[in-house]
Amino acid sequence: MSALRLISNRTSQQALSNSDYTWDYEYYEYGPVSFEGLKAHKYSIVIGFWVGLAVFVIFMFFVLTLLTKTGAPHQDNAEPSEKRFRMNSFVADFGRPLESERDFSHQMAEESQSLFHFCINEVDHMNKAKDSQKGPSLESNTHFQEVPRSCGMFEEDLHCLTKFNIPNFVNTEQNASLGEEDLLISEPPIVLESKLVMQSSHRLLD
Amino acid sequence: ENISDFSLNITDCTQVVVPEEVFFTVAAAGILENLLILIAVVRNKNLHLPMYFFICSLAISDMLGSLYKTLENIFIILCKMGYLTRHGDFEKKLDDAMDSMFILSLLGSIFSLLAIAADRYITIFYALRYHNIMTLRRALVILAIIWTFCAGSSIAIALFSYEAATVIPFTILFPLMMFFILCLYVHMFLLARSHAKKIASLPTSTVHHRTNMKGAITLTIFLGVFLCCWAPFVLHILLARFCPHNPYCACYMSIFHVNGTLIMCNAIINPMIFAFRSPELRSTFKKMFYCSR
Repeated sequence: MSALRLISNRTSQQALSNSDYTWDYEYYEYGPVSFEGLKAHKYSIVIGFWVGLAVFVIFMFFVLTLLTKTGAPHQDNAEPSEKRFRMNSFVADFGRPLESERDFSHQMAEESQSLFHFCINEVDHMNKAKDSQKGPSLESNTHFQEVPRSCGMFEEDLHCLTKFNIPNFVNTEQNASLGEEDLLISEPPIVLESKLVMQSSHRLLD
Repeated sequence: ENISDFSLNITDCTQVVVPEEVFFTVAAAGILENLLILIAVVRNKNLHLPMYFFICSLAISDMLGSLYKTLENIFIILCKMGYLTRHGDFEKKLDDAMDSMFILSLLGSIFSLLAIAADRYITIFYALRYHNIMTLRRALVILAIIWTFCAGSSIAIALFSYEAATVIPFTILFPLMMFFILCLYVHMFLLARSHAKKIASLPTSTVHHRTNMKGAITLTIFLGVFLCCWAPFVLHILLARFCPHNPYCACYMSIFHVNGTLIMCNAIINPMIFAFRSPELRSTFKKMFYCSR
């Protein structure tokens, strides 16, 4: 960045004119720098900086790992009922509200088990309804068209959750392999709640 | 030519030169990757969400950084070939414009990361009211404010770069933002941890202990990558301002091009750790590539 050259030039020389400005790739011509009599190695700042950075990152990693192992006691004790309420409200307000099918979240805010059941049935009906498109219930047809979209998302959800292992959360799959996805990165935690809901609905349906 | 008789021992601490091919490859890869993300988000209606808009903002700032380096390279080559003079007024203005583009990229990156962290924080801690708090319009307004502020600051910093007052806030902003982002993520992390403990107490659950490391690894990667890619450059600015004649500082500043390449590598890595983690975005990519065949 040649602005930096400008900085150093102006600090070193008081009388600066525009002709001193050169646009050059070499940063080298800052001015006479003598390398005589260096006590430490000349790249000591470089080495010190990178070693310090590496130490800091490793330290941060160990601190986070420690948090993982011991948890935070105050976090666990403080307001467990509120957290439970939050989890239950996730279940009630279910339906991936962060997706764009917001107009559909009203329907999805109903009982999630019935929605799951509903989806399975509706997908079957949709396949049958495709053949007879000019059915008497045109309204329900459009309804069928909308539902499988969200059911498709639902299935994608299921599919995602069966494929991915969300770390720090319980994986109830028997033979799940560690996936790359991390809750903190890919999907909002409501996915976790939907997973809980789906498992409870699985149990209900069986 | 303004330093005609410098007594510098040229064999010490020569500029570490990165080959131009490496520069151009890294920059091109960064620009392409981020452009793909922008296209994918624009094309897929499902991705018109605040979360993805913030990821797009990060992609734009990464693209600007890589673009800056590419343009600078091209202009230096043009200078060497003689198409551009070295002492022109036009070149000076062009140089200032490009410097401001680079600072814009850095500030945009920092604020986009902050916005992504804040969005995730609100998602977790205010989940029920998330839709009311973070509407699409508000997200766009926030992005507009961020980019206006970044553009203004970058122009101001580029114009007044000779003042010490601009360098210091710039370098203080960097660790402050990092610390704030770290705090947000650690708080989210703690909540996730307590959730996991609750779930582990369910009768039919099994806990994989290895998965507990995943969160720590992820967070470390997030912040470690950003630190490792940007901190060298920020230190360079500090040293250039405060000790340009010190031999140790001069030796550090000789690896400037490596620092620049690191910033472009950040542009390549950021999409991998933010955008490509989303299954929806990945499926959009697959559709884009399979449809084009």
